[in-house]
Amino acid sequence: MRVLTDLWVDTQAWLFETFVSPLLFQFGLMAWYEPGYSAVEFVMLGVVQIAIIAIGMRFFERRWPLEKSGPDDRLIRVDQIYTVLNKLGVVPLAIFILTYPLVQHIELLVRSWGVAPPRLERILPGLGDNALASFLVYFFLYDFAAYWLHRAQHRFGWWWALHSLHHSQRRMTVWTDDRNHVLDDLLITLALVLFSQLVGVQPGEYVMILMIGRLVESWSHANVDMSFGRLGERLLVGPRFHRLHHALSTPEERHIQDHNFAPVFPIWDILFGTAIYDNKHRPTGVDDAAVDRDNGRGWIAQQVTVLGRLTRALLPGVRRSSMQPGLRPPAE
Amino acid sequence: MKRLSFAALALSLVAGGAARADSVLILNSEEASYSILSRSTRTEIARQPVGREPHHLIVSPDGKEVLIGSTATNELLGLDINTGERKRVVKDVIDPYHLGFSPNGKWFVTAAYRLDHVDIYHADGFRLASRTFIDGLPSHLTFDTESKTVFVTLQQSGRLAAFDLETQALKWNVPIGNAPAGVIMLPDNKRLLVALTGEDGIVSVDPKDGTVTGRLQTGRGAHNFWPKGDGKHYFLSNRVEGTVSLIDTTGDMRVAGSIRIPGGPDCMDITPDGKELWVTQRFLRRVAIVDIEQLKVVANIPVGKSPHGVFMLKGTATPGAGPVRAASTAADRR
Repeated sequence: MRVLTDLWVDTQAWLFETFVSPLLFQFGLMAWYEPGYSAVEFVMLGVVQIAIIAIGMRFFERRWPLEKSGPDDRLIRVDQIYTVLNKLGVVPLAIFILTYPLVQHIELLVRSWGVAPPRLERILPGLGDNALASFLVYFFLYDFAAYWLHRAQHRFGWWWALHSLHHSQRRMTVWTDDRNHVLDDLLITLALVLFSQLVGVQPGEYVMILMIGRLVESWSHANVDMSFGRLGERLLVGPRFHRLHHALSTPEERHIQDHNFAPVFPIWDILFGTAIYDNKHRPTGVDDAAVDRDNGRGWIAQQVTVLGRLTRALLPGVRRSSMQPGLRPPAE
Repeated sequence: MKRLSFAALALSLVAGGAARADSVLILNSEEASYSILSRSTRTEIARQPVGREPHHLIVSPDGKEVLIGSTATNELLGLDINTGERKRVVKDVIDPYHLGFSPNGKWFVTAAYRLDHVDIYHADGFRLASRTFIDGLPSHLTFDTESKTVFVTLQQSGRLAAFDLETQALKWNVPIGNAPAGVIMLPDNKRLLVALTGEDGIVSVDPKDGTVTGRLQTGRGAHNFWPKGDGKHYFLSNRVEGTVSLIDTTGDMRVAGSIRIPGGPDCMDITPDGKELWVTQRFLRRVAIVDIEQLKVVANIPVGKSPHGVFMLKGTATPGAGPVRAASTAADRR
């Protein structure tokens, strides 16, 4: 383990000191010195995540696919672009630059009042001596917030206009998790960063939560019919559990997508009555022709189209028809 | 079997005591913890939790405690200077990034890096005397030897500010160079040295009015000082260059030596025997040990994430010795 840690840290330091640090120095950006170092780690983690998805998870999809290969395979390519842009930090960097000043401002304002972020270790002193337990508690809290944000994405028409892009994929695979509009990513990131600061998640913990959480989420979108077993499915979100959340609604199951919201821990769906466990295979996608047309579009076209959907949701006068295509949350 | 267990326990306690007597504290700023290292075995022997984002530490005027500034939880954690045992937590010290006691022990000053203010406290009871909001990331601080003035670098605005301690009034605030960080007062009380992290060296400054009187090229990202202990030589970390320079301050300043230490070298401390310089390597999550005579790295010890402040626990009580220094920067008076 020590060898792996050393290899990781040495690589990060070498990349930073060889490429990033001289540039920051040259352009007088030393205020970004520490964030720049963290950014290198973010990109490295992204490379590892892509490798795990492309090699590890794809192995299971190839070996035990739920939906066989077909003409819709071409729809996956755009999701791969989303994954690369997200995991290698292009989208997160843009989000970081946009949200950092606001997050900073809020944090500094709160701290200037003398209010310090709490640490759970104060309430549960034993946590301080157990890094793993501490990490898991913060992970649970983070996932709890993510669960309710996900419900909000389905609850509000304007937010569904953004989030529907994620659900429009008919060919759900390990690449689908990152298929989100940048504004949707921005809102979720902002909310989760603020929540993390509120409950006292450490920067290092935040990166690990993000890394592990996103890997679990990538796996939960996999095109495989696999579960972690009766108990395991109740401890960790797997492909079978999450595929139901992406199921195409039917007259018999109009509200099917209002279930299995949890990103990582299904306990939230169980506790709040939104969990469904069954072994039924359902096609995925959205029952909305306007949104379904996302399929076949490229990254830029999807981003622009969804922005239009959002505008129509926010400004009623801009709506194109009384049917409001693409604006209906599946719950309504 | 039982006897063996007792023997093992007794041995471990003895070993623990021995380790404490020669221990070194390292603040892992991104892990909210501090590592306790053994000087003799050059290993990490424990890691303890501490608030959030601990960066710098300082010895109390009575020489009995070392106080760790936990910046994001607005508090100081006091440890016994000999054993490292937790003694107390001082609350409501807002964003204590860099901190120091005036040489007479009367004043306690903090530079709130994130919150852009300089706080001057009555050291007795940590009663806030004044809070001055000042633009541009207050970074490091030091005092004059007469305890009349505190000098604070402003990293973002590229300035150096001086505050009168009795009145807490701003005396002057002048441009000094790109991204000034570490600052020390030389023993003659006539020259301040300021490290310019956005440039490749240091400047000497007149403490009366902030006039730049000299300049020395050391390496890119000059950042922080530590006195060698002879009143003439100072170590300086160059974070971007990945070196530590030995600066001779007698006459015209000159670089007397340089040591390659990669990984963003930052804070330093010297072993009580004066033979080793310990340097935190922020990016490598290690501490480098430098043989001062040879100016050569002889060992590295893995620690936590982004190690910043470093401090040698004393091992034996030295009450009244009064090592009064701004954390990791000001002139050592040992």
